[in-house]
Amino acid sequence: MIDNVRNTVLSIISKDNRGYITPEEFNLFAKQAQMEIFEGYMYDYNNAISKQNARMINDGYANILNKLEETIDIFRPAPSTLTYASLNFLLPSDIFFINSVIYNNTTEVEKAPYNILNLLSSNMTAPSTLYPVYTQGANKIKVYPSTIIADITLDYIRIPADPKWTWSTLSGGEPLFNQGATDYKDFELPPVDEPRLVVKILQYAGISIREAEIVQAAKTEEIQDKQEKN
Amino acid sequence: MTPEQYYADPENWGSYQYTSMVDIVNNFTYMYVGNDKQLNNVRRTEIIFYTKEAVKLLNFDAKVNPLKAIELTVGDDLKFVLPSDYVNYVRISLEVNGVLRQLFENRQANTAVGYQQDANGDLIFDINGNVMTEISALDLARVNPSQYSGPGPYDGYYGWLLDDEWYFGYSIGPKYGVDPSEMTLGPTFRVNNGVIDFSSGMANQSLVIEYISDGIVSDDKIIVHKFAEEFVYRYIKWKLLNNKYGIPAYEKKMARDEKQAEFRNAKLRLSDIHPSRLLMSLRGRSRQIK
Repeated sequence: MIDNVRNTVLSIISKDNRGYITPEEFNLFAKQAQMEIFEGYMYDYNNAISKQNARMINDGYANILNKLEETIDIFRPAPSTLTYASLNFLLPSDIFFINSVIYNNTTEVEKAPYNILNLLSSNMTAPSTLYPVYTQGANKIKVYPSTIIADITLDYIRIPADPKWTWSTLSGGEPLFNQGATDYKDFELPPVDEPRLVVKILQYAGISIREAEIVQAAKTEEIQDKQEKN
Repeated sequence: MTPEQYYADPENWGSYQYTSMVDIVNNFTYMYVGNDKQLNNVRRTEIIFYTKEAVKLLNFDAKVNPLKAIELTVGDDLKFVLPSDYVNYVRISLEVNGVLRQLFENRQANTAVGYQQDANGDLIFDINGNVMTEISALDLARVNPSQYSGPGPYDGYYGWLLDDEWYFGYSIGPKYGVDPSEMTLGPTFRVNNGVIDFSSGMANQSLVIEYISDGIVSDDKIIVHKFAEEFVYRYIKWKLLNNKYGIPAYEKKMARDEKQAEFRNAKLRLSDIHPSRLLMSLRGRSRQIK
């Protein structure tokens, strides 16, 4: 998909000799565009829930909520066991959002409120191995009760890997796409989001080559797309 | 659980009548909480808290669990430490030859903690600054009464000699000027700060205490009778809605009404009215009254 996106972007910005973006610039814009669209899924999901509660989402192919869940689940790897170190469990580096923390494959560990001390001293709801809780820090979680030092599994949503359009040789002065390079990485978004990627990258590229018309056209396209979806 | 497993372990016997708190919390979380439900963004700790509140309420008001009863012998200090899961007593009885004689609480039976004082009457403190205590003279006198020997019907009874007058805790025969609400033939007791203090005469006697608990001693042991399960769900729902911002008053009221209706249903179901028992009660009509 990444080569298609690049070709489309280049064909638009190269029209009338407006400008050119290098492969390195394209990769930077592609990463930004992918992250922006990925983060947008969460807002789209929230809006879809509100629409569903207003009875504005229908079943079958019209079920946008299900479709969004399926899209987000692309970034949901198989649950992994966390490593215990220095009283904490270490989180993976590509984590975006914790779906659930499971103890002993059976018990869900709940995220504790910020006032954990009150919870720990509660006579009614203090954490136990039956109902454990966790607090989150930088790249780590702390599980209560502290007797739990193993068997913690994480179900999470990861950040998409950085896309990379790779090339090896020049052909007519143009770099030639090389899909076999070891550092090649395609977009991870579903193909249906290809037009959104093109529009986003065009915005960045338009700003880069100081072409206001491209930026404006891309923004108009994006607004129209949003209006259609709402 | 297979029938073989069920019959093998006495702990399983009759367990089908009950739903565990773990199941209630799981069921509630799955069926009542979600983005398309009345409740969302609810923490499990809140559900656990309100489940326990509901279980307590059922124990206090609907008597869902049978009374707890324990038998023990009162020591020489006439004190009995309350059971760890004690909430309130229902009946305390003296056991004599297999027959239970109910004892009554006497709120006028006083007890006190003695503060240690030096020769000048000043209080004595320990190194932590706390007043040093001792068994009060009041308690000593109650535990160690004197035996009266002399004329009258109280000859041989234990009592207290104060200002050259003898006083007795209980006795037989008419007493003029005493408060009838405090009169009882037998020892009395008073519940004080985690212990039951008995009047003299209960030392080394066997007694049975029947009491109620709140049923939430241990998370994995908390159970709810299936007749009251629906009430617990409605109670949790009502409490959660009631404590949330932005919930319309009519929704809160509806949740409260549902909870009340389920509570009445639970009480009716748990009242355990069987046709056979009703029949036996009605047979009482033929009893001859002299």
